[in-house]
Amino acid sequence: MSMAIFSPKLPTLAPPSSHFSNGKTHLNFKPYLSLGPAKKLNFQLFVSADNGSGVAATVADETPPPPPPDVISDESVGSNGSPPQAAPEEVAAEAVNTFQDARWVGGTWDLKQFSKNGSTDWDALIDAEVKRRKWMEDNPQSSSNENPVAFDTSIIPWWAWMKRFHLPEAELLNGRAAMIGFFMAYFVDSLTGVGLVDQTNNFFCKTLLFVAVAGVLLIRKNEDVEKIKKLLEETTFYDKQWQATWKDETPNKN
Amino acid sequence: MASHTLTPVHHHPQSLTQPFKSKTFKPQNLNCKNAIISSKLRVAVIGGGPAGSSAAEALAAGGIETFLFERSPEAAKPCGGAIPLCMLEEFAIPSHLIDRKVTQMKIISPSNLTVDFGKTLKPHEFISMVRREVLDSFLRDRAENRGANLIKALVTNIQLPVTEKSPYKIHYISNNTQNTLSVDVIVGADGANSKVAKSIKAGDYTCAIAFQERIKLPDHKMKYYENLAEMYVGNDVSPDFYAWVFPKCDHVAVGTGTISSKQNIKQFQGAIRNRVKPKIEGGKIMKSEAHPIPEHPRPIRVLGRVALVGDAAGYVTKCSGEGIYFAAKSGRMCGEAIVRASENGEKTIGEGDLKREYLKKWDNEYFCTFKFLDMLQRIFYRSNAGREALVELCGDEYVQRMTFESYLYKKLAHGNGWEDVKMAVSSIGSLIRCNVVGREIDEFRKRMELQF
Repeated sequence: MSMAIFSPKLPTLAPPSSHFSNGKTHLNFKPYLSLGPAKKLNFQLFVSADNGSGVAATVADETPPPPPPDVISDESVGSNGSPPQAAPEEVAAEAVNTFQDARWVGGTWDLKQFSKNGSTDWDALIDAEVKRRKWMEDNPQSSSNENPVAFDTSIIPWWAWMKRFHLPEAELLNGRAAMIGFFMAYFVDSLTGVGLVDQTNNFFCKTLLFVAVAGVLLIRKNEDVEKIKKLLEETTFYDKQWQATWKDETPNKN
Repeated sequence: MASHTLTPVHHHPQSLTQPFKSKTFKPQNLNCKNAIISSKLRVAVIGGGPAGSSAAEALAAGGIETFLFERSPEAAKPCGGAIPLCMLEEFAIPSHLIDRKVTQMKIISPSNLTVDFGKTLKPHEFISMVRREVLDSFLRDRAENRGANLIKALVTNIQLPVTEKSPYKIHYISNNTQNTLSVDVIVGADGANSKVAKSIKAGDYTCAIAFQERIKLPDHKMKYYENLAEMYVGNDVSPDFYAWVFPKCDHVAVGTGTISSKQNIKQFQGAIRNRVKPKIEGGKIMKSEAHPIPEHPRPIRVLGRVALVGDAAGYVTKCSGEGIYFAAKSGRMCGEAIVRASENGEKTIGEGDLKREYLKKWDNEYFCTFKFLDMLQRIFYRSNAGREALVELCGDEYVQRMTFESYLYKKLAHGNGWEDVKMAVSSIGSLIRCNVVGREIDEFRKRMELQF
């Protein structure tokens, strides 16, 4: 079965996948014989032979879906928040109209109930708090002095946050930084003749390195450039409003 | 009082306007003007709030002939009424004007995390709560005692001068009669809907709107708010500001403000009432009021011989929405500037003098404060994640100390370097943590939406 899942990925590489579903096999498979490894071709043949041309169509249909399920499952594993479980909790809580969770005791999360293998499961705690805050946003609660809330995020150690904040993107950023670093070193070397070792002693190169690292961190997606531009505009906007009164003066004097 | 001020009124326009009708001889014009002016510089202050009264007081004390216009001295605009400690001293405000001395300040986050912000207040430190009508009339009386002429009148129109040295003519209605007064300089202190600003075309500013209900509480509930003020933050009560519960003489003021969605202000007011529900239950709403709050300075604050101060100029801080102190201070600064530039009313002044003596000094002293608070607002009021971080940070004693030093004494406080670094690190830490949670809330929400 797992092989059947792997095999459909192969057809996606071939330009028109619809050809497979048509069942006009012989002409289409010939190029595979010459290009692809024999083994994979065998699976393809095996699948289509087993279920007939009708199933070949469903296999072709299934080819696009695999990536999305992967992404979804990755996300839900990453945040541990499985929606089906959350839904009944929410409904139950809404009925009572205060936030209720067995682990929420006396205005904070009961850490004992989060222990797993002798240590606290911070990930689960963060998930629980995410759910609580979302619930609070949707159902704003009166603050009361009788049941004060004491939980703040500083209880959770920094490494638990690092994992959440960093890991999903770290791979990408590291790879990108390494590539940029390598090519910058290469170009600087080829243009100036300064070798890699000498570059590390050079102020200019250190600045370049700093710029590269900052750039990689700040600009992760294309939209980030726009975002940064917008932020800059926003911050200077207030200055402009203040300076407006001084603007007329300069032309008047001139 | 009115009859007293009327005498110069009828006298001046005639003597001033006649020479100008024959505009053929310019030098003659100037001579005539100087001859009249040689008496004393005449300044009109429009608006008798803290800004106007402080300006009038400074002017009158400097020996300048001052006219203070106030439309309705009995009424005052709805306002939080919190003033910092340094104002009591600087403006010599007697303690009997203070309704409440707030020593406890609670900030409540969207997830109801509550932090007592007043832990580090020293025994002699407090935030004074005043009623505006009381404070305003006190300051106005003092200006009058110093020699300013108070005119209870509605200013209907301001006629701009024809030449650089001719007077401004103020048309006003007092006791149902139309009058005119000619003055050399005008100080505009007439609030957000400033007539002075309009007549000199000083441009507009964006306004936030603040809505507030005065609620009379049962005694046992009032006791809780005896010296305690509360601030609520969250998308439910305001998308870009905070909501408050401030104690007043015998009631509390519950209100909220917003810039971006003014049409929803009623809904936000409902939300803040919901957030404080158990604490104000059984209270009776005595009055509800709404008023505009300027968001940034006007494009023009000084033009010709007109200077704007207080709300008319747009001096209200972001983030905290504080305006009384800055109004009074700008009024006084402007008054003193005019006294200095005119050498106690002996010389005429121009736009350059006002800009140099008042505007430049003001900007040098306060621009950084305003800018800093604008930045804080951008960082912390942007989203619920930012607000959670704000409340977490406010739990830190050093943060509290620095905030109060800056607020109470109106100087950017100097802390010690190491603590500052620690504060910066913990701010960034809090922001990152709360943003991680915020991001996951968004993702969670999206997933839920996909499901249904």
